[in-house]
Amino acid sequence: MDQTLFIVGINHRSAAVALRERLAFADDEIVAALGRLRDSSPAVAEAALISTCNRVEVVGVTSDPAGAADETLKFLAADRSVEQAAFADAIYSFAGRDAARHLFRVGASLDSMVVGEPQILGQLKLAYAQASEASSAGLILHRAFHKAFTVAKHVRKGTLIGHGAVSVSSAAVALAGQIFDTLKDKTVMLMGAGKMAELTARQLNALGIESLLITSRTFDHAVALARELGGTAVPYDNYKPYLKMVDVLIGSVASTKPVLDPDEFESVVRERRYRPMFLIDMGVPRNFDERLNALQNVYLYDIDDLGALVQRSLGDREREAEKAEQIVELELESFLKWLRGLDLTPTIKDIRYSVERLRDVELGRHRGWLAQLEPAVRDRVELLTRGLTNKLLHRILSGLKQRDDKALDAAFAAEVARRLLGAEFDAQVHDLHGADDGDDDDVDIE
Amino acid sequence: MPMDTLWLLPALACYALSAGLFVFDRLSGRTQATGYAVAILGAGVVFHAFDLTARGLQAGNIPVANFAQALSFLAWLTALAGLAMIVRLRLAVIGAFVAPAVILALGAASLAMSSGHVVLPAPLRSVWLPIHVTLAILGYTMFVLAASVSIVYLAYESRLKSKRALGPANEGAPSLEKLDRINYHLLGWGFMMLSLAIVSGAIWADATWGHFWSWEPKESWSLVIWVLYAGLLESRLTIGWRGRRTAALTLVLFSVLVVSFVGVNLIFPGKHGGSFG
Repeated sequence: MDQTLFIVGINHRSAAVALRERLAFADDEIVAALGRLRDSSPAVAEAALISTCNRVEVVGVTSDPAGAADETLKFLAADRSVEQAAFADAIYSFAGRDAARHLFRVGASLDSMVVGEPQILGQLKLAYAQASEASSAGLILHRAFHKAFTVAKHVRKGTLIGHGAVSVSSAAVALAGQIFDTLKDKTVMLMGAGKMAELTARQLNALGIESLLITSRTFDHAVALARELGGTAVPYDNYKPYLKMVDVLIGSVASTKPVLDPDEFESVVRERRYRPMFLIDMGVPRNFDERLNALQNVYLYDIDDLGALVQRSLGDREREAEKAEQIVELELESFLKWLRGLDLTPTIKDIRYSVERLRDVELGRHRGWLAQLEPAVRDRVELLTRGLTNKLLHRILSGLKQRDDKALDAAFAAEVARRLLGAEFDAQVHDLHGADDGDDDDVDIE
Repeated sequence: MPMDTLWLLPALACYALSAGLFVFDRLSGRTQATGYAVAILGAGVVFHAFDLTARGLQAGNIPVANFAQALSFLAWLTALAGLAMIVRLRLAVIGAFVAPAVILALGAASLAMSSGHVVLPAPLRSVWLPIHVTLAILGYTMFVLAASVSIVYLAYESRLKSKRALGPANEGAPSLEKLDRINYHLLGWGFMMLSLAIVSGAIWADATWGHFWSWEPKESWSLVIWVLYAGLLESRLTIGWRGRRTAALTLVLFSVLVVSFVGVNLIFPGKHGGSFG
C-alpha cells in the first residue's frame, strides 16, 4: 500500500523553451505515450502527462517515489530521444505532500508564467481526460485531479488572481470596455506602424467593431494591413477629415512632435457632438498632446499610463496569489487526510493478528486431546485450521483492499473490524500498538 | 414614533441594512455583499408595499394625503425602480446611492407620519388625485435615479480621466457610455412624467376651482423645474452635450428639485403645501 503522488517535470522557470520543446508531447501523442510509460516503468502505478508551452510534467502514483522518478526520467529521455544528461539539471521532482501541492498550484495558475492566467486549468483537464482515456489514472490520480480542479475553482472565486490586464494591449482593450458599452458600432483608427499599436488594433478588431481605418506614412503598409484585417486604408496626408468618425484612435507615428493639436482637435470633438473618444498613444515620442485629455469626453492614455495599469494589476495578482497559496494549503491538508485514509495497512495487520490468535486460542483449548493424536494426524488438524483461517482472511482482506470508488476509509474499516472481531481484536490492537512503536498509519508522504 | 402600521419598521430596517451593505461593498471595492443587499432591498420594498396598502385602504385612495405620505410613496417607487434597474441593467453600483436616498426619504417621512386617520380635504377627493400625484412622484423617482446614475458617472469619469481606472473593482462595472445613456433615458421619462403631472394638475384645478393655473409656489417651481429639465434635454439634442457635463447638470437640477419638493411643501402653504407632493 503506502501509495503516494509523485511529479517529475520541467517548466518555464527550470528550463528554456529550447529544452521544453524537445520534451514536449503533442496532444494526440499523449494517450499512447502514457501506455509506453506504464509498460516501461513498473514503479509507476498511475500516471498522467501534462504538456503545455510552459511545462512538461508526469504526475503519477507510486509506492516508490525515487524509483518512479528514475523510471520516468528514463522514459522521457527514451521517448523524446533526448539524452538524459541534457535535461537532468532542469528537472524537478516532488513526492508526497510536495507533489500534491505542486499539482494544486499548477491548477490554480500559481505556477504559471503569468500568474492567474486561465488556460492552465483547461490544459490540466485535458491531461486528466487523456490519462482516463489511457486507463492510466486510478483512484488516487482521479481524486488528486478533481481536488486540483476544486482548488482552482476556489482560488478563482475566492481571490482576484485572474483579474486585471497583464499586457499593454489588453489594458487598452479593457479601458475601451469601460468607456464604451459596445464596440460593435465604433470606428477604430490606427495611425502609424508600431507593433504594439497594431496588436491593439488587431485585438479590438477581433472583438467586432464597426470599421477599422488605417493610416501610415508608408501607404503600402496601411493598404496591406487593411486588406488583412478587413479595414480601410487612409492616406496619411489626408486622415484629418476622418477623425470625427473615430471613437478609438491608436497612435504610433514616428514623429518628434505631437501630431494632433488640442485646439484643432476641440473642433473635432464638437463636430462629434461630444461622443466619447478614446485616444491610445503608443508612440515614443508621444503622438498626442497631453492637453487632449482635458477635452470633454476625451480619454487619453499614453504608453506609460497603460504600463502603470499593467504593473498595478501584476502587483494585485501577486498579492492575491498569497491568498491563493493559503487556499492551496488548506485543500492540501484535506487531500492528504484522504490519502492517509486509504492506508489500511495497520487494520489489515490487526485483523490478521487477531484471527491468528483466535486459532491459537482454540488450538490451546484442545491441547489435551490433540496431544494424544498421531503426530501426522495432528499436523493435518493443524493444517486444516490454518487453511480455514487463511481462506477467511483472504476473503476479508481482499474485500477490504478493494480499490475503486467504493474504497473504504481506513478509520471506518478499523471500526468495522473492531465490531466484527470484538474483544479479541481490541486486545490485539492493544498488544500490537504497545509492542510496536512504529506509527504505521502515516503514509509515506511527509 | 408615530407609526401606525406594522410594516414600516421592518421596511426601514431592510432599507437601512441594504444601504449599509451597498455602501460597504462600494467602499471595500468588492461585490461580496451585493447579492444580499439586493435581496434585502427587495424585502424592504415588499414590507413597504404592505404599509402603503394598509394606509391606502384606510384612506380609500392612494396614500398621499400629506407630505409625509407622499414622501413615503416616493421612497417606495424609488426603491422599486432602483431595484428593477439594479437587476435588469446590472447596475448594482447605484445601490450605494439609491438605498441611502430611500432610507433618508422614508426615515424623514416616518418621523413626520401622523398616526390615526388622515382625512383628505374634500376638494381633493377626486379621480384626479391618484393620476396627478402618481405622475408627479414617478417623475421625481426618475430624477432621483438619474441623480444616482450621475454620481456614479462622475466618479467613474474622474477615475478614467485621472488614469486610476482598471482596478479589479472596476471589472464588470457599467461603462460610461451605458451610464450616460441610462441617465438620458431617465431624464426623458422623468420629464415626460413631470409634463403629464403638470397637465393633469391643471385639468384637475380647472375642474375643481375653475382655473387652470394659480401661480402658487408649487406650481411656479414646477414650471421652473420643467423648463430646466427641458433645457438639459434640449442641450443634448441640439449641441450634443453628454457625459460629464450632463451628469453634473443632472445633479444641479436635482438639488433645485429637492429644494422645491421639501422647501415648497414645508415653507409655503397652498393647495399643495402641507398636503402632498
